[in-house]
Amino acid sequence: MALELILFSFFALIAILCALGVVFHRNPVHCALLLVGVLLSLSGLFILLNAQFIAALQVIVYAGAIMVLFLFVLMLLNFRGESSVLSPGAAKGFGFLFSLLVMVELLWTALSPNGGEGGGMPPVAALPADFGSPAAIGRILYTTWLYPFEITSILLLVAVIGAVVLAKRKFA
Amino acid sequence: MDLALIIEATIKVLIVLGFTLMGVPLIVWMERKVLGHMQDRIGPERVGPFGLLQTIADGIKLFMKEDILPSQVDKAVYFLAPAISVITALVAMTVIPWGDTMSLFGRTIALRITDVNVAVLFLLGTTSMGVYGIVLGGWAANSKYPLLGGLRSSAQMISYELAQGISIVPIIMMTGSLSLAEIGRAQEKMWFIVPQFFGFLIYLICAVAETNRAPFDLAEAESELVAGFHTEYSSMKFALYFVSEYANMMVVSGVAITCFLGAWFGPVLPGPVWFLLKLAFFLFFYVWLRGTFPRLRYDQLMSFGWKVLLPASLLNMAITAVVMVMRG
Repeated sequence: MALELILFSFFALIAILCALGVVFHRNPVHCALLLVGVLLSLSGLFILLNAQFIAALQVIVYAGAIMVLFLFVLMLLNFRGESSVLSPGAAKGFGFLFSLLVMVELLWTALSPNGGEGGGMPPVAALPADFGSPAAIGRILYTTWLYPFEITSILLLVAVIGAVVLAKRKFA
Repeated sequence: MDLALIIEATIKVLIVLGFTLMGVPLIVWMERKVLGHMQDRIGPERVGPFGLLQTIADGIKLFMKEDILPSQVDKAVYFLAPAISVITALVAMTVIPWGDTMSLFGRTIALRITDVNVAVLFLLGTTSMGVYGIVLGGWAANSKYPLLGGLRSSAQMISYELAQGISIVPIIMMTGSLSLAEIGRAQEKMWFIVPQFFGFLIYLICAVAETNRAPFDLAEAESELVAGFHTEYSSMKFALYFVSEYANMMVVSGVAITCFLGAWFGPVLPGPVWFLLKLAFFLFFYVWLRGTFPRLRYDQLMSFGWKVLLPASLLNMAITAVVMVMRG
């Protein structure tokens, strides 16, 4: 138990520090790298929650594939001055408002006696032995959550076709 | 956590780390010697018997050299990049089994550092993190050839990672497990190269591309990019990239052995010896390829990965699934 607590604090601390770095750092490439740090420590937290499969996917998909593409764009564009749709004041205002909302929601969930509406997480010991294993997740995806799963895959297919169409147009 | 368990784990980590890091100079020596003979030369022969100490001497030379820090580099990232390369390569080593179990001092010891139940995904994760070492190294040096080399090799690694991952999927379907130890154990009767020969071919090609080795070594195509992403690196930082390249070769070979070539199984000799023999064969194969194949052009390489290997691996997966269903 103590080990779990130490590991949790370790990953949580790194996640928070990296997240602060993402927001406050000036250099966009450094920001992207710190975001990779956040994603990696989140994957550590997933492992502590018995979700090894999700943890591995987090590293492969987010930290490994998506962030590399982010880095590509940042490196090739070589930002000098940042331009944004909103004025700096308005952006700060919106940011403050939304983060306040998220914080209220999180505090609400954390402080309510049975962990919010869903009754909170069951203790880890009460979970079935294969919880979070790839086999268990696959079974759930193809039975209970079949429709959401298929709809998501159609969405991804549309995105793939869209990307190909957009990329092709240049040469037409 | 009892003390014996901690000692056992420490010893195993030291053995794997020692084999990997000591193996690198040996492989480099083997590569230079074999390439030498393939090109009708003798290769290194002056330092030590058969030139065996040549790479040690080169290593010491790299240690002693001035560590040049180019002006205008992004220091933090410049220092971090080679470290990422080596760390990811060594971390990937932890899940590769080199034998089944043995009893020693009344304990049953599993011959692997750890057996994660998502080992295959863990490996894919570490290799995808390894891309950062290259792309960041190319960017941080703040120079055009490294940047181009870094982008090239990371695009190449990401493309071939897909086909590589999918070529292992039929193995996972046949064993029903993502644990490398389980996959290895399932091959006692028959090596998976027999039912999955095409999968093995696809994996092999991807593994060579994944480690940026000839004929897929476009990242460091001397004739066009100086030395690719590590052009601006010198001394020990260059040596770290060097070590990570060879350690990565050992990792992908280890996975190929575990998934296709019957892991540690073989007649007469004990498991770890067989594993090492198969590993040595694979590393020789790498050098053999380098000695005989010309380098591909970059666009040929990318279209080969996306238009041939990826569809082929998907087809292989689909056929395996159909055959498995039909056989019940």
